[in-house]
Amino acid sequence: MHIMEGFLPPEWALFWWVLALPCLAFGIFQLKKILAADREALPLLGVTGGFIFILSSLKLPSVTGSCSHPTGTGLSSVCFGPWVTSVICAIVLLFQSLFLAHGGLSVLGANIISMGVVGPLAGWAIYRALRDTRVNMFFTVFLVCAIADLCTYIVTSLELALAYPAEVGGVVSSFILFLGIFAITQVPLAIVEGVVLALVFKYIVQLKPEILVRLKVFPEVKIRAAAGDA
Amino acid sequence: MWRKYRLEVIAVVAILCFCGIFLYTSSLMDDAEYAGSDTLGASRVAELAGISEEDFQPLVPQWEPPSGEIESALFALQAAVGGIIVGWVFGYWRGQKNRST
Repeated sequence: MHIMEGFLPPEWALFWWVLALPCLAFGIFQLKKILAADREALPLLGVTGGFIFILSSLKLPSVTGSCSHPTGTGLSSVCFGPWVTSVICAIVLLFQSLFLAHGGLSVLGANIISMGVVGPLAGWAIYRALRDTRVNMFFTVFLVCAIADLCTYIVTSLELALAYPAEVGGVVSSFILFLGIFAITQVPLAIVEGVVLALVFKYIVQLKPEILVRLKVFPEVKIRAAAGDA
Repeated sequence: MWRKYRLEVIAVVAILCFCGIFLYTSSLMDDAEYAGSDTLGASRVAELAGISEEDFQPLVPQWEPPSGEIESALFALQAAVGGIIVGWVFGYWRGQKNRST
C-alpha cells in the first residue's frame, strides 16, 4: 500500500500530511489518557502494535501474480480505536520509509491516512455497529480486520487516482485502474489476516479478559462467556 | 473438542487454502513475476503521468537498502521486534494468571 517517495506531486503530499497531523496529535492525546488511567493497557498495546509490526513486514503472494502485505491494524482499532492505531502505524511507516525505502517522508502523510486512519476507522465503524449485537465476538474481529486491511488499499488507490486522473474518464477510471492493482490483490490477504487476528484475539480473551472488560472492548457478558468457554 | 479449537481449525484451513490457491494460480501463470503491488502501482503512475519511472525524483532525499539481501534483513528485524513484544506480553499475562490461581 505504500506510495513510493516522489510519486505524489508536492501539493498532494502536503494535503495528506495536513490531514494526517491532527489525527496523530489526537491519537497521542488519547494514548496518554488511556495509559494514565490504566497501566495494564500497555501490554495490550504491545500485543496489538506488535502484530502491526509483524504483519506489515510480510509480503505475501496473491492470485494476481503480485505481492502485497497485510496491515494488522484491525486488532488495535478494536482495542484502542482508530486514532491510537494511527500513532502505531506512523511509527511502522516511518521505520519503513527511513530504512527500507518503502514509502518516503514526503508521502508519509498519505500512507498514514490510508493505513493508519481510514482503514482503522472503517474497521472501527463496523466494530461499533456490531459490538452490542448478538454477532459473535470473534466474527466481529475477523470482519473488522479484513475490512480495515481492504479499505487501506482502496484509499491508496484513491490517493493515486486523485493525483493522477486518467486522460479519458478522469479520476474514476484511474481509480478503477489502481483498484485492480491494489484491492484485488488484497482480498485473499485480507481474509487470512482477519482469521489470524481473530485467533489472536481469542488468546487475549483467554489470558487477560480483565483488561478487555476494563477497556470496555466488548460487553462483559460476552467476554466472560468466551473466556469461560475456552 | 471442536468447540474449543474451532478458531484454530478455521485459521489452519484458511492458511492452507491460501497456500493451495497460490500454488494453483502460480502454476497457471508462467509469466507472473510476483513483484510488489507498490512497484506495479508506481509503473502505472508513470504510464498515467506520461513520463518514465526513473524521472520521478524523491521530494525528500532517501536512503535505499543497497541490495535485496539487506532489505530482507531489515524486514526480518521489523517482524522480530513485533514478535518479541508479542511473546513477552503473552508470557507476562500467563505468569500473572498462574500466580492468581
